Amino acid sequence: MSDGRTDVLQGTLALMILTTLDTLGPQHGYGIARRIEQVSGDILRLNQGTLYPALVKLEQQGWIRARWGVSENNRRARFYSLTPRGRRQLTAETRRWERVSTVVARFLRPREQAQ
Amino acid sequence: VSRWRARAVRLVEWLRRDRVDADTDAEIQAHVDHLTDEFVRRGLDRDAARRAALLEFGGVERAREAVRDRRGLRPLDTLVRDVRHAARLLAATPAFSAAAILTLAIGIGANAAIFSLVDGVLLRPLPYHDPAALVAVRELLPPSASEPGADRRIVVAPANLADYRKARAASGLAGYMPVTRSFSGAATPERLVGEAVTPEYFAVLGVAPLHGRTLQSSDAASDARVVVVSHAFWRERFGGRADAIGATLRLDDEAFEIAGVMPATFQGVSQARGSAPVIFWQPLAFPPDVLANRKDHEVAVVARLAPGATVEQLASELGATAAGFGPDAGGIGVTVDGLREDIARDVKPLLLLLLAAVGLVLLLACVNVASLLIVRSIGRRREIAIRLALGATRLRIAAQLLTQSVVLAGCGAMAGLALAVLLKRSLLAVTPADIPRLDAVAMDGRVLLFTIAITAVTAVVFGILPAIQVTRSGPRDALATTGRVVAGTWASRARTGLMIAEIALSTVLLIGAALMIRSLTALNAVPLGFDASGVLTAIVRLPDSRYATPVARLQFFDAAAQSLARLPGAEAVAFGNRLPLRGGWTSGFLLEPEGGLPGAADASAGFQSVSPEYFDLYRIRLLRGRSIAPADRDGAPAVALVNEEFARQFLGGGDPIGRRLRRGPKAPSIEIVGVVSDIRRYSRTMPIDPEVYLPAAQTSLYPLRLEQVAVRFSGDALARANELRAAIWSVDPDQPVASVSTLDEVLALQQGTRRFQTFLFNVFAALALVLAVVGIYGVVAYAVGQRRPEIALRMALGASGTAVLRWLLTHWLGIVSVGAAGGIVAALLLGRLVQGLLFEISPADPLAFVAATTVFGVAALAACFVAVRAATKIDPASVLK
Repeated sequence: MSDGRTDVLQGTLALMILTTLDTLGPQHGYGIARRIEQVSGDILRLNQGTLYPALVKLEQQGWIRARWGVSENNRRARFYSLTPRGRRQLTAETRRWERVSTVVARFLRPREQAQ
Repeated sequence: VSRWRARAVRLVEWLRRDRVDADTDAEIQAHVDHLTDEFVRRGLDRDAARRAALLEFGGVERAREAVRDRRGLRPLDTLVRDVRHAARLLAATPAFSAAAILTLAIGIGANAAIFSLVDGVLLRPLPYHDPAALVAVRELLPPSASEPGADRRIVVAPANLADYRKARAASGLAGYMPVTRSFSGAATPERLVGEAVTPEYFAVLGVAPLHGRTLQSSDAASDARVVVVSHAFWRERFGGRADAIGATLRLDDEAFEIAGVMPATFQGVSQARGSAPVIFWQPLAFPPDVLANRKDHEVAVVARLAPGATVEQLASELGATAAGFGPDAGGIGVTVDGLREDIARDVKPLLLLLLAAVGLVLLLACVNVASLLIVRSIGRRREIAIRLALGATRLRIAAQLLTQSVVLAGCGAMAGLALAVLLKRSLLAVTPADIPRLDAVAMDGRVLLFTIAITAVTAVVFGILPAIQVTRSGPRDALATTGRVVAGTWASRARTGLMIAEIALSTVLLIGAALMIRSLTALNAVPLGFDASGVLTAIVRLPDSRYATPVARLQFFDAAAQSLARLPGAEAVAFGNRLPLRGGWTSGFLLEPEGGLPGAADASAGFQSVSPEYFDLYRIRLLRGRSIAPADRDGAPAVALVNEEFARQFLGGGDPIGRRLRRGPKAPSIEIVGVVSDIRRYSRTMPIDPEVYLPAAQTSLYPLRLEQVAVRFSGDALARANELRAAIWSVDPDQPVASVSTLDEVLALQQGTRRFQTFLFNVFAALALVLAVVGIYGVVAYAVGQRRPEIALRMALGASGTAVLRWLLTHWLGIVSVGAAGGIVAALLLGRLVQGLLFEISPADPLAFVAATTVFGVAALAACFVAVRAATKIDPASVLK
């Protein structure tokens, strides 16, 4: 992209949301967005609006659940938390992602060496 | 799994979509607020912070749309919107909507009404346990050489029943026979309809009594006087009290103990066959002589298939059993059918044909509405072209148009159902009572489901053509036409095609109706051979307990006849064992030799015992010899009259007078003293049988049981029914007077089914004709309107109004002829479907075809003429300007 940051890959956003909720516990959408940007440093650019369809999808699949609560800024917000199913999904997804990244890394390494 | 879960969640979300949308908005708002707080913390003022927050968030509206896309069910949203849109469009054109909805309501309503009839009679399960396993068992006579097509099915000989019970494919076989008994517990004596049943009957049907018990083997074995009664009778006579069990019921002057009461849903099997409600069930036991005679067929049999057994297995098992009976049984076979199929056998072709006919009416309604929609959619072409140009998909627009069809059909269906509820009562009123199971006809969920199904099909059938037509034209074509909207050639071709189809369909229905009318006319033209008008008849079955001897019964009827003759307006009174149109009695006899034809030995003829006034009353002509006289009593020489058919069949046309016959080798010899004209004793459709008439007063001669009286009245005979009853009760007040009806009523009843089918076909044909005329008018008027410039041009160039009229009429009548020709061909091809319902009329009867086509042609000509004439009244100058 023009400013050098990479768009969030389709599918990885879900994994990031699940990891965030696993690490931080119940979070509202704004908190999740901030966390993803913080962790990625300046490498990933998250269009914060795209977070919400992803949250809806995870909720519909029963991996996260949402409840209205009050944020640290004293504002009403919807707090998302992992469900037991979501936790299982996270484990499975993490394992899968690790396998895929190992494979991808194997493909990429020889080229880097050749340079 | 999670995909289905997600779908379920989305459906729930859709149902509470207002709440969910509000949540989304609030959540996104909260996000933006948090971002704003963050920017304020970093030192921006509130407004700048808010702008920065919105920028950072990246499009609130887009996020909201994206969430909405993920949440709930987008297609359902679309559907709701389309339905609203369709409803608005329909409301905007009330004349079009009313015409279309009324047309569909007629089609759908008529179908729902006929379906309720078909469902009740053919499809609904019988009110027994596991009715699918119930079968009717009948014996089959060996094929007859003279009548190869005749129905060979016959009731079962009780002697064979015990053998059939051994079949392993049946878990039980029960015999039942309709009986009637007089009951004098009411204000006036009545005949109650009952069934005499073998002990297995209730177990085979699988229905337990509501109170008390059903019949047992010991009841039949001991000839016990016990009965089980119907729920309706119990409620009516015993007020539904439990102490009815053990109470006494006097039937035919005999005391019967009530052993049980059946539940309200239960009905006797003979009731399902279309006879009167069965009130009581009594034990059935067969006398030894019946059980010894394998040729004495008298009991109807219902059986329950053993678990897992099939109809075919039972049939082959019973067939093998019957084949083992040897010559005693006269070479009979066995046939087994599902009980429901057996009950509906006679009416099934008629009902299916009615369903097909009413289906044609619906198809016509669809064609008309499709035609209307095409015209309407021509008007909407520009709008649709613009939407196509703006990127709407064709599928989307077609779906929207189909939604409109469904909404239209839905409105039509609702109006149609209301119509069907109204029609059902009238339909049942004209439905002949001999069609079985009419009490099962109901407007309920089953009819509703059927209606929904045909409505969906209807919507697609009439909606598909207009939908295709609208979306197939490119946006450029439609947008290019400015001002005057010109119908595409495709649209006008489609409409012409629809018109031809419509003409063909209604021609088929009209021809069907004409055939039915022809058939009924042919039937009514068959001479009965006697005068049926003004004759009131009644049946009095005298019980043996009070009238033990033939002489006692003769005295009763003599006294009754004298009493009846005193009624004002009574012109003649007669009595006998069986009177014309009220059954008959057939017996074998021996014609004494004297040149008698060989083979006459095992001849059989109708034997009727009649009073002397009989021939005068019925106006049956005496052709030769003398009639029966009052002096032909016991003690006088035995005499008989015969009819012409008797002389033809047994004497080769020779003179019967002076010949003698006897019923058996030891029976008295009877001299034939006269010949009377032939009559159709049973009905107009039954053949004339040879008949022997014996004097009722010669009781020792041949004790036929007297039971019927007839009175010829001047004036309205039916109004005299109560006087007739009173006159008979003046002789014995305890005897029920049954089946009091005029012969005209009996004839009407006999032709009930034919009248019914003729009536309905005429109704359908009339509907079809109206729909077709409206449809033709619509198509022609619109098409001629489209050609106004051309017509104006011709007239401006000198063509006269008449010439233009002729030119247009020729064109359209040509199209009408194509449709009518198609209808005639279709009717010829479909002819064999109605063949069985026609009496002595070929399904290709030329008169019916000519009449129907003429009626249709005149109506179509009128429709075309009215539509075309308006176009020739134009002022060329104003059109061409």
